[in-house]
Amino acid sequence: MKLSSLIPRSGKVRTGVVVVLVFIVIAVLGPVVATHDPRATSFDMLEPPSGRYWLGTTQSGQDVFAQFVHGARISLLVGLLAGVISQLFSVVVGLLGGYLRGVADDLLYIVTAVFLVIPGMPLLIVLTGYLPSRGMLSIAVVIAITSWAGAARVIRAQTLSLRNRDFVEAARATGEGRLRIMFFEVLPNMLPLVASGFLFSVIGGILAEAGLAFLGLGSLTTTSWGSMLYFAQNSQALLAGAWWWFVPPGLAIAVIGAGLALINFGIDEYSNPRLRTGSATKKTRTSRAAGGDATAANAQVSGIGSGTPPTPGGASAATAEHVALTRERTDEVDPELASRIHPSPMPGSPIIEVDSLRVDYPTAFGTVHAVQDVSLTLRRGEILGLAGESGSGKSTLTNAITRLLRAPADVAGGSITYRADDGAPTDLLHLEDRELRALRWNEIAVVFQSAMNALNPVTSIHAQFDDVIRVHRPSLPAAQRTAIAKEHLERVGIDPGRIDAYPHELSGGMKQRVAIAIALVLEPDVIFMDEPTTALDLLVQRDVLDQIVRLREEYGFAIVFTTHDLALLLEISDSIAVMRHGRLVEYGPAVDIYRDPQHPYTQNLLSSLAELGSLA
Amino acid sequence: MKFLLRKLGLYAFIAWAALTLNFLIPRMMPGDPVSILIAGSKGQIDAEARDAIAAQFGISEDPMIIQYVHYLGDLLRLDLGVSLSQYPVPVLDIISQSLTWTVGLVGVSTVVGFVLGTGLGVLLAWRRGTWSDHVLPGLTFLNAIPYFWMALILVMLLSVTVSIFPAGGGYDRSIFPELTPEFAGSVLYHAALPALTIVIGSFAGWVLQMRNMTVTIMGEDYVSMAEAKGLPQRTVLFGYAARNAILPSVTGFALALGAVVGGSMLTEVIFNYPGLGYALFQAVSAQDFPLMQGLFLIISLAVILANLIADVAYVFLDPRTRQGA
Amino acid sequence: MTITDTTTGSGPQPQARTVLEGRNLVKEYPVGARSGLLRRQQTMRAVDDVSIVLTQGRVTALVGQSGSGKSTLGRMLARLIPATSGQILLDGREVPTRGNAGHREYVGDVQLTLQDPFASLNPLRRIAYTLGRAVRIHQDARGEAAVHERSIQLLERVGLTPAERYLDRFPHELSGGERQRVSFARALAASPKVLIADEPVSMLDVTIRKEMLDLIDDLRRDEDLAVLYITHDLGSARRYSSEVLVMHEGHVVEAGESATVIDDPQHEYTRRLLAAAPNPAARRR
Repeated sequence: MKLSSLIPRSGKVRTGVVVVLVFIVIAVLGPVVATHDPRATSFDMLEPPSGRYWLGTTQSGQDVFAQFVHGARISLLVGLLAGVISQLFSVVVGLLGGYLRGVADDLLYIVTAVFLVIPGMPLLIVLTGYLPSRGMLSIAVVIAITSWAGAARVIRAQTLSLRNRDFVEAARATGEGRLRIMFFEVLPNMLPLVASGFLFSVIGGILAEAGLAFLGLGSLTTTSWGSMLYFAQNSQALLAGAWWWFVPPGLAIAVIGAGLALINFGIDEYSNPRLRTGSATKKTRTSRAAGGDATAANAQVSGIGSGTPPTPGGASAATAEHVALTRERTDEVDPELASRIHPSPMPGSPIIEVDSLRVDYPTAFGTVHAVQDVSLTLRRGEILGLAGESGSGKSTLTNAITRLLRAPADVAGGSITYRADDGAPTDLLHLEDRELRALRWNEIAVVFQSAMNALNPVTSIHAQFDDVIRVHRPSLPAAQRTAIAKEHLERVGIDPGRIDAYPHELSGGMKQRVAIAIALVLEPDVIFMDEPTTALDLLVQRDVLDQIVRLREEYGFAIVFTTHDLALLLEISDSIAVMRHGRLVEYGPAVDIYRDPQHPYTQNLLSSLAELGSLA
Repeated sequence: MKFLLRKLGLYAFIAWAALTLNFLIPRMMPGDPVSILIAGSKGQIDAEARDAIAAQFGISEDPMIIQYVHYLGDLLRLDLGVSLSQYPVPVLDIISQSLTWTVGLVGVSTVVGFVLGTGLGVLLAWRRGTWSDHVLPGLTFLNAIPYFWMALILVMLLSVTVSIFPAGGGYDRSIFPELTPEFAGSVLYHAALPALTIVIGSFAGWVLQMRNMTVTIMGEDYVSMAEAKGLPQRTVLFGYAARNAILPSVTGFALALGAVVGGSMLTEVIFNYPGLGYALFQAVSAQDFPLMQGLFLIISLAVILANLIADVAYVFLDPRTRQGA
Repeated sequence: MTITDTTTGSGPQPQARTVLEGRNLVKEYPVGARSGLLRRQQTMRAVDDVSIVLTQGRVTALVGQSGSGKSTLGRMLARLIPATSGQILLDGREVPTRGNAGHREYVGDVQLTLQDPFASLNPLRRIAYTLGRAVRIHQDARGEAAVHERSIQLLERVGLTPAERYLDRFPHELSGGERQRVSFARALAASPKVLIADEPVSMLDVTIRKEMLDLIDDLRRDEDLAVLYITHDLGSARRYSSEVLVMHEGHVVEAGESATVIDDPQHEYTRRLLAAAPNPAARRR
């Protein structure tokens, strides 16, 4: 590993590391450099900073600089000790409770709750009030006792979620023992949490020590930043205007606290190897770059990032899949990738025209072209199936059309035109916010992937119908809005009496229907459906599909139906567009594609489906 | 209301744990308070007084369990003992005097800090990727400033250097404390700086938490759907994103409240504010153990109550907890 | 008696031998919070009185929708979760269905692979670690060299070549298909008699599903494994298994030879499932 790889990329983290290092150097070397004894009094009382006393003197003529550097040692050491002790506590309690569950967890949970809720500072004060001797170690232990609970709860929650992850179950299936799983499989995956918990308990420790010392409850025979403030306060340094006495220690606490918090921003980068090969993952994770297509960037970037040349012949097909990603980047002129576009003989007037659309997003390894030169025409009443594997760019494409792309993904070229009933064109990409809002849901509605998350969990179904009707049909009275909502629930086969239900009270299939009903409520021209049935069981999927097809006949809206399930598309859609690596590889009437696929990729897909028994 | 009942049970248990901790601490800590007191008095306490103090503490040769029953009985009768430093004023009287001041000051400024911070957090999340991101390191710094130091600096700037606010006290001593506009004005005037300290000290934490949570929530499908619905920005931001993002803030109230209370106590000390924190400081300085115990108990119970209120609020905010009512 | 293998067609089968058997297995889960100490805890039967036989050298498919209890049954058979009642027999000998006694020896014979190739490998561990642990646990392999050699062998067995290169990788540097192969390699490290594959292909892209199922079939043949193929997909069950059990709400509603059951379903539920599958041939237009 090169040394340079240890330097964090983020400016915040770099600042944080520098700050903390500076203080460590001060704490280690300061007392050696300081010429004065921190406790030695002199007749130079309350002198402002000078060449002789860098930070001035106290009321009893002690050198503030000497006290400051000695104080740094004590404050940092107490903080560090308290941090280590409390974090050890949190990890053991959180990990045991979260992994073992059952009675042990219940007990630990309650104990944690007690320490979490009982306020730390008063407890700390009472405990130290009784301490016969207040050494550094006992202060640190007492601080740790009052501060471990928060982190323990966080670690418990994380353990609970990790223990249900497949790799933990796989480790059990392999025959690993409990302790080994806890400490070798689960714990390493929590290092970011543990590290950030540690940083915060160090901050907490420094603050608590300062607070105690400031109240005169610290060890008054040693000099810490807190005890400096205690003496400054007791000697009326404020009234004397001796800012040099009380500003440096407090400022130091704040700066080092901020430094530690800044390091925390970048902890993820260190502990997650996914970030070692590419920082793009971080970007897509935090901003969900192109809607559901975060994996697109992942797949491509990791293909590039691992930096292995394409495996020579003899490689398994699975490797070939991996290689394909890498190669895709280098020789884009592969004849296999040329699109097969059949002229679309669909009847009806165009409603959405996409012309040479390109969507890019920047990553650390250069720009990823999530959508490249895609042209499509959707006609009134048409069901257009958009097929492609995960990362093919299909969600990015639909997000671009519905104007739901999230930064840093950006349309790099091309146009998207919406045509109203009378054929009047609207340039979707250059709409004012207000115009765009007016068009939305009135003409273009969306049914999101996994209805699980498409409904606001904290408001009722009624409210989620009502807000959209109220905004777009402001003249309708409330009673009529409710009537419309109920009518549409009924249309999708849900008892209108459930209108006041909350999303969590509905099954997955019902949520999906509600999402469809909400999409229908303003009778739009187009509905975009992003994997609307993927999370559903086969039987429920069948019901929902039948419903969609029936409603389409009833209302006459066009549908853009996105899925990775080609067999499903072949059944329900009028035309199909197959995407791969951001390109349209095949586009034409569904019947033609089913009978006679032109592109090798589509042929491969269809033959795979046939071999798997998915095409009857 | 199973959720609420469970919470109620948990808090009842925590309250009991606080009571018991309060009973155990003086008995478990190395060195007993009586000898500390006697050592502190430098021989001014004779054997008789010593026994009186011990009895007053409830420390006796009785088995622990008997002592515990006596202790609980005393609590039931609201008998928290007698203050040593202000002998023979009952601890309860001192507490009830300072409680109003603390609830007024800390209660109000904590709520103000929470509301301000949460609001600003939403704003920063909404304006993410612009100038607003540069505010974050500043907020991180603000969040790390110890309350008492912030108080010192505020006093230096606004009280010593420029005499805008008083440097301490709860009200002007020359005014008789009664319900007059003059007195109320004096109270507010004196509360301004300590309140400012607590608000500044606590709000940055809320901002950071709320901003991060809102940013996370803004990636959820239901926010995209709200946007796709053509709802006004305001509705998307507050009705969907912030409405969900505030839930962890409310749950995390327990985590943060302890720190706010701790910081507020130190703030009271600096401003000689006649609240619980200042009283606790004086009790500790004077080694007034009964008062110390009583104050610890009452502060803990207040925080437990605040947590319970936060959980009740949570039930109103999150329909998922209302299931099976 | 010899049973003609109609699907995998690899010539006449040797005497079919039962390796793993589950008898009257039941798994109950508590539902909701218990209110009051005296009131009885409500339970839900995820698996309700299911018996199953896995045979050496055969693939048995367990088909059902999510929530049918098929994965719960698989985990019970792998002894990852305790059974509420019922028996498990390995090579005709009864093994405990709860507790940890003899767990390690048991998983030496019965291995489970999981559905999600992105989640079933510890993201922080290199492949060498993951495989190495499995080898150390089951092979008594001593020393780096022996473990390394065995790991290479396993990777080659599942078609990941050149194997050396894969050892140093982290899971996120592999494709979904490669990761699933690593999972199979890890299972093979135990030299098991039974492989329980829980939805091995449902998270993979269509174009590589076939290769994965072919790999499982190869392993079945070469290692003489009894395979339990858990899936929601009747089509692939028809192609890749000799027997099939259809589960619905914790019960086995239909069982038998795959070709018979799927081509001529007797139970209403099986029929509905078959009818619900997307079918391009049934286009309305």
